[in-house]
Amino acid sequence: MSERTSRALSVRRITKSFGAHRVLDGINLEVEVGETVVVLGGSGEGKSVFLKHVNGLLQPDSGEVVVLGCPVSGRPESGLIELRRRVSYIFQQGALFDSLTVGENVAFPLVEHTRLSEAEVAARVGALLDRVGLAGTEPLLPAELSGGMRKRVALARGLALDPEVILYDEPTAGLDPLTGLAIVALIKDVTRSTGATSLVVTHDLAVATELADRVAFLAGGTFAFTGALADAARQEGTVGAFVRAGGVHA
Amino acid sequence: MSVFGRLYDLAWRRVCHLGGVVLLARAVAARLVTPPWSVRDTVRQLEAMGVRSTNLASVIALFTGMVLSLQTAYTLAAFGAKLYIGEVVGLSLVRELGPVLTALMVGGRVGAGITAELGSMTVSEQVEAMRSLGADPLRKLVVPRMFALLIGLPLLVVLADVMGVFGGLLISTWELGLTPSFYFSHTLRLMTYGDFFSGLGKSLFFAFAIGLISSYNGLGARGGADGVGKATTDTVVGVAITVLVLDFFLTKLFLTV
Repeated sequence: MSERTSRALSVRRITKSFGAHRVLDGINLEVEVGETVVVLGGSGEGKSVFLKHVNGLLQPDSGEVVVLGCPVSGRPESGLIELRRRVSYIFQQGALFDSLTVGENVAFPLVEHTRLSEAEVAARVGALLDRVGLAGTEPLLPAELSGGMRKRVALARGLALDPEVILYDEPTAGLDPLTGLAIVALIKDVTRSTGATSLVVTHDLAVATELADRVAFLAGGTFAFTGALADAARQEGTVGAFVRAGGVHA
Repeated sequence: MSVFGRLYDLAWRRVCHLGGVVLLARAVAARLVTPPWSVRDTVRQLEAMGVRSTNLASVIALFTGMVLSLQTAYTLAAFGAKLYIGEVVGLSLVRELGPVLTALMVGGRVGAGITAELGSMTVSEQVEAMRSLGADPLRKLVVPRMFALLIGLPLLVVLADVMGVFGGLLISTWELGLTPSFYFSHTLRLMTYGDFFSGLGKSLFFAFAIGLISSYNGLGARGGADGVGKATTDTVVGVAITVLVLDFFLTKLFLTV
C-alpha cells in the first residue's frame, strides 16, 4: 500500500541484451510520486532502452518494473493498456502520426480511451494546443511543423489523458538552444501544474539543471551515480567529468 | 563463420521469419473476427487500394485477353479449331489468369505500398507511439488494410475477368471475323459457376497472403530509409512467389472438389 501512495515507479535489477551486447546490466531505480528524475549518460549507453522498459515498450530479460503499483515486466500487451492511460511517453522526435492532422494526433488518446463527444474532444484538443502555445494549428499536418512544434504537439498529445507519470525521451535533442530552453520551460510548467512524476532521459545538462530533483547517471549498463546534480559534479571518473564538461560545477 | 555455420544461420532466420508470419496470421485472423472494427479506416483503405487499382487491373486484363486470343487462335488454327477460342479464353481468364495476374499486380502495387507505409511508421517510432498510447497497432493499422484487400481484390478480379473477355472479343471480331454473339455464346457454353467462384475463392487466399506478407515486412522494418526499401523489395518478391506457389495448391484443391 505504501508503494502505491508514495512510490511512482520502481525498477529492480533489470537486465537487457540485444544479441551478445548487454545494454542494461542489473539496473535499480526508485522514483517517488511527484519527483522529477533526470537520467543522464553518453550516447549509446541505453538511456532510451531503459525508458522503454518503464511503460512496457520493451520487456527486460530479467528483473522487475513496477509503475504506480502495477507490475509492467512480464505482462502481455493487453494487460498494459490501462497503465498506459496513466503513463505518457514523449518520444524523441515526437512520433506524431504522419497521416493525421495535429488536431487528430492530439485527439487520438481521447478518441481511443474516452466516450467524449466530437465537440468535447475538439474543445479539449483546442485547450491542450493552447497550453503548449500552438493554438489554431489543428488542421496542419506534422510535415508542416518545425522540430520544436512537433515536440510541443507530442507533449499536448501526451497530456490528453492527464497522466500521473510522464516519460520524456531526449526532449531537447535536435533543437536550437533557444527552442530547447522554451521546451524545458514548458515541461517545468507542466510538471508544476499537474504534479506529475517525471522521468527525463537526456544528455543535455541544461535540461538536468532546470528540471532535476535528482539525477541518475547511466554508464556501463548500470546507474553509476544517483543523487543531486551538484553532488554528481564532485564525483571522480566518468560521472564527474561528464557533468563538469556540461558546465555544471559543485 | 564456417559454411555450415552460415547455412545454419540462414536456415534459422528463415524458420524465425516463417514463425513470425504464422504468429501474425493468427493474431490478425483473431482480430478480423472480433470487434471493434473501424469502418471509416477500412473504407479509406479500400479507396486507396481498390479504387485506385482499377485502371491498372483493367489495362492488364484487357491486353492479356487480347494476347491470349491471338495466341490461342494461332494455335487452334493449326487443328482447324479456331471457333473454340471463346471457350479457351473465357475459362483461362476466369479460372487462372484473372485472379493470378490481378493478385500479382495488386501485390506489387498495394503490397509494396503497405510495407512502405507501415515500415516508415515503424522506423519513425509511430507504431511504438501507438502502443504507448494504449492502442493496438494490429487493429488500427493491419486489420483495415486486410479487410480492404479481402473486399477489394475479389472485386478487381471480377473486373479483370470482364475486361479480359472483352479483350478476347475485340480480337475475335476484328482479326478472326467472328460475330460478338458467337464469341459470347462459346465463352459461356462451358463455363460454370464453379469456374467463376474458384477464381474468386483463390483471390481471397491471395488477398490474405498479400496483406500478411506486406504487414509483416512493414512492421519488421529496421534502420531507417534503407531498411524500409529492403522490406519493400522483400514484399514484392515474397508476394510474387507466394501467389504463384499458392495458386498451384489452390488449383489442385479446387479441381478435386
